[in-house]
Amino acid sequence: MPRATKFTKEEPSDAGSDVAMDEAPTSHQPESRDDMSIDPNENEEVEEDEVEEEEETQRVRLLPGSTPTAASFEFLNEGHTLGNALRYIIMKNPDVEFCAYAIPHPSEAKMNVRIQTFEGTTAIQALEKGLRDIQDLCDVVTDKFIDSREKFAAGISA
Amino acid sequence: MDYDPMVMDDAESVGPVVKISQADSVRTKFELSNADISFANSLRRVMLAEIPTIAIDLVEIEDNSSVLADEFIAHRLGLIPLNAEGADSLLYSRECDCEGHCEHCSVRLTLHAKCTGDENMHVSARDMVPTGDRINQAVGTPIIADAEGLGPLILKLRPGQEIKLECIAKKGIAKEHAKWAPSAAIGFEYDPHNKLRHLDMWFESDAKTEWPPSEYATWEEPPQEGEPFDYDAVPNRFYFNVESAGNLPPDTIVGEGIKVLQQKLAGLIHELTEGEGGDGMNGDYSGPRSPEYSAGADGFGGGYATPYGNGGNQSSWGGAGGTTPYGTTPYGAGQSWS
Repeated sequence: MPRATKFTKEEPSDAGSDVAMDEAPTSHQPESRDDMSIDPNENEEVEEDEVEEEEETQRVRLLPGSTPTAASFEFLNEGHTLGNALRYIIMKNPDVEFCAYAIPHPSEAKMNVRIQTFEGTTAIQALEKGLRDIQDLCDVVTDKFIDSREKFAAGISA
Repeated sequence: MDYDPMVMDDAESVGPVVKISQADSVRTKFELSNADISFANSLRRVMLAEIPTIAIDLVEIEDNSSVLADEFIAHRLGLIPLNAEGADSLLYSRECDCEGHCEHCSVRLTLHAKCTGDENMHVSARDMVPTGDRINQAVGTPIIADAEGLGPLILKLRPGQEIKLECIAKKGIAKEHAKWAPSAAIGFEYDPHNKLRHLDMWFESDAKTEWPPSEYATWEEPPQEGEPFDYDAVPNRFYFNVESAGNLPPDTIVGEGIKVLQQKLAGLIHELTEGEGGDGMNGDYSGPRSPEYSAGADGFGGGYATPYGNGGNQSSWGGAGGTTPYGTTPYGAGQSWS
């Protein structure tokens, strides 16, 4: 418990008068100060930060414990909108043994998908195929909707 | 994998079907059949909350001597429907290269009204004037749908009172704030006779006589007297009623909804296939991982690359992957899921 001892050491000076920021316990200092002190060149630090921001955050990751045929994926910023449709379409794949989705906690924008496949394909392939299948389904529905709209418009004008 | 996703089972062998029963400038009613409820619900959810539109997001008040507080007026301004035609090609302000906002990511509207007469003055959306450059001439214009051509009432001014402000309208989605909702409402209905018993109808003496039949009740076969309950049945025909708030025409809402769904999928597919190099899936992998796991399976990178890349490495997975990773990770120990 090195942290605790540090606190007791610094507390006496904290009690009576105002303390300069640097002398305050680390927990009271703004977090960014730590990074700054490591890098002497502040301008460089800023530039690096900008580069990092431009990098796209990874929205899918494999959860630990996954094997090729039985994997869990974590999607960021996805919910029931994608989850349920994806679960359904992956389950329709005859090479898939099991597929389910869950939103572990409603206040975290995360959605988990579990896929288990039979021999001959992998969970990642099944996931990709599922995504492409919904895309195809969307294409068909778009075409049908446009057809139907044109038919309806023709019916009105006729 | 030689199966056709559109040929799902006997009932769905012809693929999804769309039938429009009503279409005008305010609403589109259509039936989506031979599709699964999960897909129909995805479409409903995406049309409700994820189609980008434009709404007032920043208000700078220069002068306000009306009886309403600044923030009250700002909130009312945010809820005024603006024409979202072409909002697709507008950038999100947070993704734009400009400082704050510019014509590529926002539309500027000004409102300046002073009551100079003897009677109270009504200030409505009509009085909002889009100023400055816009990506097209329609985007950001307030929607005027009433017969008088005034648009939504914003506030009233007594003689001598004045309001002067400038608004910045930005692109956004209804998931963030309902003011960006393209649809006023989306009706979603299936199984009008409640054959599937998804509904438990409240009644005083008889549910059949007390509940009015759905407008789609005549579209489907009513249940036969004494018909046994089909517990294998799944909903198959979905009745949508997409009602526009004016910012996008209702048929565009449907089209855009599907487009947003496809973009969502395309983004994920892109990310998955990008990972073929090996480090795509676990570039910043930082989740809990037991030491045995990383040692046994040589990290995650090698493991991920195999199924996609060369089949030669597959054997190393089969040996180690079959047992080690599974047994030693939180999964095996049952710590991850509780």
